[in-house]
Amino acid sequence: MSNYYEELSQSIISGQLDRVKSLTQQAIGAGNNPIDIINQGLIPGMSVVGARFKVGKMYVPEVLMSARAMDAGMQLVKPLILSEDIPSAGKIVIGTVKGDLHDIGKNLVSMMLESAGYTVINVGVDAGPEKFLQAVKEHQPGVIGMSALLTTTMLSMKDTIELLKEEGLRDKVKVIIGGAPISQDFADEIGADGFAPDAGSAADLCKKLLA
Amino acid sequence: MSKSQYVRANYQVNATPQLKMLSDDQCESILNGALEVLERTGAEIHSQEALDVFKKGGCWVDGNMVRFPSHIVEWAIRNAPSRIVISNQKGERTLFLEGQNVYYGPGPTNTYTIDPFTGERRRPRKADTVRAAKVIDALPNISYAMDCGTVMDVTPTLSDVHAFQAMLENTNKPIIHWGFGIDQYQDIIDMAAVVAGGLEALQQNPFILLYSESSPPLRHSVEAIDKAIFAAKNNIPIVYTPCTFAGGVAPATMAATLVIAVADSLVGLVAGQLVRKGSGFVMGGLISTMDMASTILSYGAAELSLLSAGLTAVARYMKIPMFSTGGCTDSKVIDTQMGLEAAFSILIAGLSGANLIHDCSYMEYGATSSLELMTMDDEIIGMVKRILQGVEVDDEHLALDVINKVGPGGHYLAEDHTMKHFWGFWAPTLINRLRYDGWKAEGSKPMAQRVKEKTQDIINNHKPEPKSESVLAEIQAIVDRAEAREANKR
Repeated sequence: MSNYYEELSQSIISGQLDRVKSLTQQAIGAGNNPIDIINQGLIPGMSVVGARFKVGKMYVPEVLMSARAMDAGMQLVKPLILSEDIPSAGKIVIGTVKGDLHDIGKNLVSMMLESAGYTVINVGVDAGPEKFLQAVKEHQPGVIGMSALLTTTMLSMKDTIELLKEEGLRDKVKVIIGGAPISQDFADEIGADGFAPDAGSAADLCKKLLA
Repeated sequence: MSKSQYVRANYQVNATPQLKMLSDDQCESILNGALEVLERTGAEIHSQEALDVFKKGGCWVDGNMVRFPSHIVEWAIRNAPSRIVISNQKGERTLFLEGQNVYYGPGPTNTYTIDPFTGERRRPRKADTVRAAKVIDALPNISYAMDCGTVMDVTPTLSDVHAFQAMLENTNKPIIHWGFGIDQYQDIIDMAAVVAGGLEALQQNPFILLYSESSPPLRHSVEAIDKAIFAAKNNIPIVYTPCTFAGGVAPATMAATLVIAVADSLVGLVAGQLVRKGSGFVMGGLISTMDMASTILSYGAAELSLLSAGLTAVARYMKIPMFSTGGCTDSKVIDTQMGLEAAFSILIAGLSGANLIHDCSYMEYGATSSLELMTMDDEIIGMVKRILQGVEVDDEHLALDVINKVGPGGHYLAEDHTMKHFWGFWAPTLINRLRYDGWKAEGSKPMAQRVKEKTQDIINNHKPEPKSESVLAEIQAIVDRAEAREANKR
């Protein structure tokens, strides 16, 4: 019995959506454990993509093709697994802060995190402290990620952290921030747990914080 | 020498070399593409006031989605002035934003700056905008001021107001300035009115252009579009500039990226013209590619020049003044990459005939400002302006009599004609052309060192023409008023 895992990984890396779909289907048909298909076929392929992107050997559109292919495979496998058994590296709530509509970077980070095996709850743009708080209460994530492009809106990140403190939830969740005007200094200043300068290193940061 | 004047009739002169990136037919295709996008896809508008303006003006509004019938957009294009004249702060008409006149200046809102004394990359302070304004004031080829960094040692929501004060106090050149929102815009107009001698004087002879950035593709925040409306209401010209980068917020093709940029600019134009027909509008702006390895919006890409020149061609086709980009770099330090990227974009932007060319201070893909880069750009702009002067061809400049007089094997050094004309040679101030021993005697300084020393010298010694005590006091009172307002908001 072939388990198709090596081929699956390769097809994820080359971003061939149709190929990933048919291989996943064949792997399921051949009686492979759906969780093994994810852990040994889909995720290893995406790990290679993440690593190559980080060192500049893959470009963003290629990464997104791989992520899309991975997602197509996941959609086929997921119905076969009880939801609590679906492998997840952890839950992450992510959003662009209040007053800011810029979400391309945030969405890119979100996709990179999903590809690295995290369950991402995307709260969208213009998300104020209350919205993050509500998401933390509802989903109990390990990490919340806030994004801002503007020097005015980035100040809202601190408000979110303060609100989490007031609600006694600050210790329950790690806070990471990113975006063009954000720096490690700013993260330290407002009491965030981490800062990532780009989408590739955001997943590594989460891995480190949740270890 | 006598010569028939008949040959001069209908004689074609290429007075200024030009780079027309797109033909009129291509410009028409880009514009038609933008009109189709606005009519079919529409734009997302996040301001109730703007939605009301668009609806009243005959646009199709559904929730916060607005689609624009082409005839309304074309009406707006026809009504916008094809020329805007900007004065300096003394009221002298200085920037003629018309035809292919080009004026260079720095850029705004960087989140870091490189200290020209310590070399440190750090958050900008108000004192940095003071320094920037002095350097702007002193450099002959920098024609207007921008803040060169978001100052972060003041009340955060008044960074714009404080930067404007710093510029007013340290230069008399025209200013292009942004604001966080309408309150700050009002502060800025009030301060400018003090300098101009009243709001009416400012409106008739503006020395400021307001600046607003929308968020492509086809999305306009409250702040962005409300500022366009505010500027039109107050009859102050505005630069409306989407930051469009191919592959990220626009398709990866150059033509489609131009379509998105034009469409997003036109949204701002329509808003302004519906509020006040004929209000001054300058089309932006920043257009380049997303670097697909690092995800930065590249300020040194060849496509920045290619797309900027293309957008300028479309603006000119529409007869709307153009705000373009040049003199910037993705480099993090004062180095060779900085020099070549800056020179390239300054030349292409100049050849394209864009009226305002900004960001002659932008390093590190726009994250960091550098006064040293601005000083070096001033030199590059000098070279480019010389090229733009073109070659004069007439009897005096052909100098056939002088050639005959000197004859074969002679020299021209002592000729009256040489004495009269060699002043037209462009003379460097930073570029070094000394013979080796002369260069060595002056300390064997590389370009970066000479740039640093000139920048420091300006900051230490340049004295901008001061404004009167009463004007400065009135400006301070407006800053104090703004501080009180923001304190109440907290």
